[in-house]
Amino acid sequence: MRRSSLWQKNVALNIVLGVLLLIMFLNLLFIGLFVDKILEELFPGGDHIVIVNGIIIYYLAIEFFIRFFIQALPTLNIETYLHLPIRKSSIVHYVASKSIFVIGNYISWIVLFPFAFKVIGPAYNAGMAWIWVLTLILLVFSNNFFATYIKRQLIGKSYIVGFIGLVFISLIMLDYFGVISLSALSSSAFGQLLAHPFFVIVPLLILIFTYGLNYFFLKSKLYPEEINIKRKEKVDALSNIKYLKTIGLTGLLISLDMRLIWRHKRTRSILFMAPIFLAYGLIFYPQTEYKGAYGLLIFVGIFMTGGMMLNYTNYCFGYESNYFDNILANYKEFERYLYGKYIFAVSIASVCYILTIPYVFFGTDILLINTMTFLYNIGFLSFVLFYFSTYSKKRMDLSKGAAFNYQGLGASHWLSMLPAFLLPVFIYLPFKLMGMPKAGLLFIGALGVAGLLFHKYLLGLILKQFNKKKYDMAEGFRQ
Amino acid sequence: MIEVKNLTKIYGNETVLDIPGLTIHKGDSFGLVGNNGAGKTTFFRLILDLIRANTGIVKSKGDDVTSTADWKYYTGSYLDQSFLIDFLTAEEYFEFLNQIHGLSKGDLEQFYIEFKEIFNDEILGKEKFIRDLSHGNKQKVGIAAALMARPEILILDEPFNGLDPSTQIRMIKLLNNLKTNHHTTMLISSHDLKHVTDVCQRIAILEKGKIIHDLETNRNTIGILENYFSV
Repeated sequence: MRRSSLWQKNVALNIVLGVLLLIMFLNLLFIGLFVDKILEELFPGGDHIVIVNGIIIYYLAIEFFIRFFIQALPTLNIETYLHLPIRKSSIVHYVASKSIFVIGNYISWIVLFPFAFKVIGPAYNAGMAWIWVLTLILLVFSNNFFATYIKRQLIGKSYIVGFIGLVFISLIMLDYFGVISLSALSSSAFGQLLAHPFFVIVPLLILIFTYGLNYFFLKSKLYPEEINIKRKEKVDALSNIKYLKTIGLTGLLISLDMRLIWRHKRTRSILFMAPIFLAYGLIFYPQTEYKGAYGLLIFVGIFMTGGMMLNYTNYCFGYESNYFDNILANYKEFERYLYGKYIFAVSIASVCYILTIPYVFFGTDILLINTMTFLYNIGFLSFVLFYFSTYSKKRMDLSKGAAFNYQGLGASHWLSMLPAFLLPVFIYLPFKLMGMPKAGLLFIGALGVAGLLFHKYLLGLILKQFNKKKYDMAEGFRQ
Repeated sequence: MIEVKNLTKIYGNETVLDIPGLTIHKGDSFGLVGNNGAGKTTFFRLILDLIRANTGIVKSKGDDVTSTADWKYYTGSYLDQSFLIDFLTAEEYFEFLNQIHGLSKGDLEQFYIEFKEIFNDEILGKEKFIRDLSHGNKQKVGIAAALMARPEILILDEPFNGLDPSTQIRMIKLLNNLKTNHHTTMLISSHDLKHVTDVCQRIAILEKGKIIHDLETNRNTIGILENYFSV
């Protein structure tokens, strides 16, 4: 019974994912079938090969980000196999190469082949078309291995992710301000390939290199014992935060949650993703065409001021699955427990909000939007998420070895959060259609303020829900 | 002290616990023995309101445990390692619980003194998270935590598991001391027939969810138990 409900949830998610994939597939198929005509339509008279070669680098970058965020990492419970008569290198090769079968590696073929044989073939020859396709496929696979490697670092050395992100951002900025031209770079590189086909060796070497990165990284993490040694970090001073000690039980519970987040690699890695959330505005604010597009900017505001909070509230009970029975048997007043969690969620959102204030540089409208979405986040969204998080039954074993354990970092994780971000946009739309966009914004903020005013009542509702659901949660968390 | 009426717990088609009636009086030391899957942990979880019963109620001091939290003030428990907040150090964990129970700093120091012998310098001042402790030391932390608030009712599920022999003996001494000097009501399950008869004055055998024997401990008890369990 228990199992089936979980399974059904996955079925629903899988159907959504499947439909999305199908739409993408049909789009790509269309592009692939008419690639020459589309290019002629878009760039009449231009050198299509040069143009496409110039786009490739952007394509690979976007693909990298998509992979980084939604591609689930292949996992294996390594301890089960270590004592069996299987060579260690085979185990590692198995895990390292498993991502070859990810559909994302093949989806671009739908466009690559038609382009190669409809455009490059006629301009050069069939052999050259093959070389070009081969190069691209090798690069797509390299991209796959590179993204998996970086994602693996997310749990190991999180700063590497930050570093790569920085490199990407600076390259994009340099390109944007015209210091360098990535597209020129890209088209000249692939131009060289078409002139000297033996350069196909380069992507092959890249592929071997990126695979090697994964292989040696996994190999170094093979012994669970060694991971454990690394986990014996120094005990931090988080339990000595003075302020939290002065606010009684609430402070105690917040301090516990802070330690929980800081002392598990998985939760800590989410902290390191905070800059990505906060930098999200940079993509939209500088563009003048988005200035009046409140609907979009509301989404951005919700995401920036609430993304981290959402991550926390969504899993705040699941994170505690390891000792949930202790909570039930020892905490005398669950309202205090829930209140502590709520205050922590609000604190997270507040910090994010304060950090987004400098965006006022792009206009006071931005500040207004972010303030309203912040209010909405802490006064409305937080309660909704909190309410629904009592439905979580999935055990999250945060203390399990990190290197081979990546629960909850895949596509479904992000997809399930989408409605939370889109709801305020839908609230705003009717106002916009009536020609009162500002009123729509204020209404979103007012929702939040109302929630804050009635927080006692709302927490009471959540308490009722918690008391009803606690057995189911505890049961799920035990397995 | 604890009163059980018509208590059943059913998973799927299987009745894992069925206790029509049972009373545990104040000061009783109640031992629960039975093979794996007999329902010992299920029974304890029901007393602690960790799972929902299919029928029946558990009353603690006359109140239904599902409808009040009063029993939490006088009940200490340790069922398994899922009770430990394992990303804290042992000290942090004890401090945390100390505050949860609303005790003072002095209480905590007193507690450390009382458990000095059992901790045996392996627990405190180690700068180690509980998750990095050995199985036996985790067990010590858990049992000590259950005793922290000087509970009137103590519920321990297989407390002797994983403890080294010296600690087992110390633990028995400690429990017997609680029994005679503080009249603590105890519910203890164990696979170790000797230990459980050393501590408990009353022993119940659980088989497939039903209490089939409920004995006063005397010198014949261990023989009866051994006889029952030797298939």
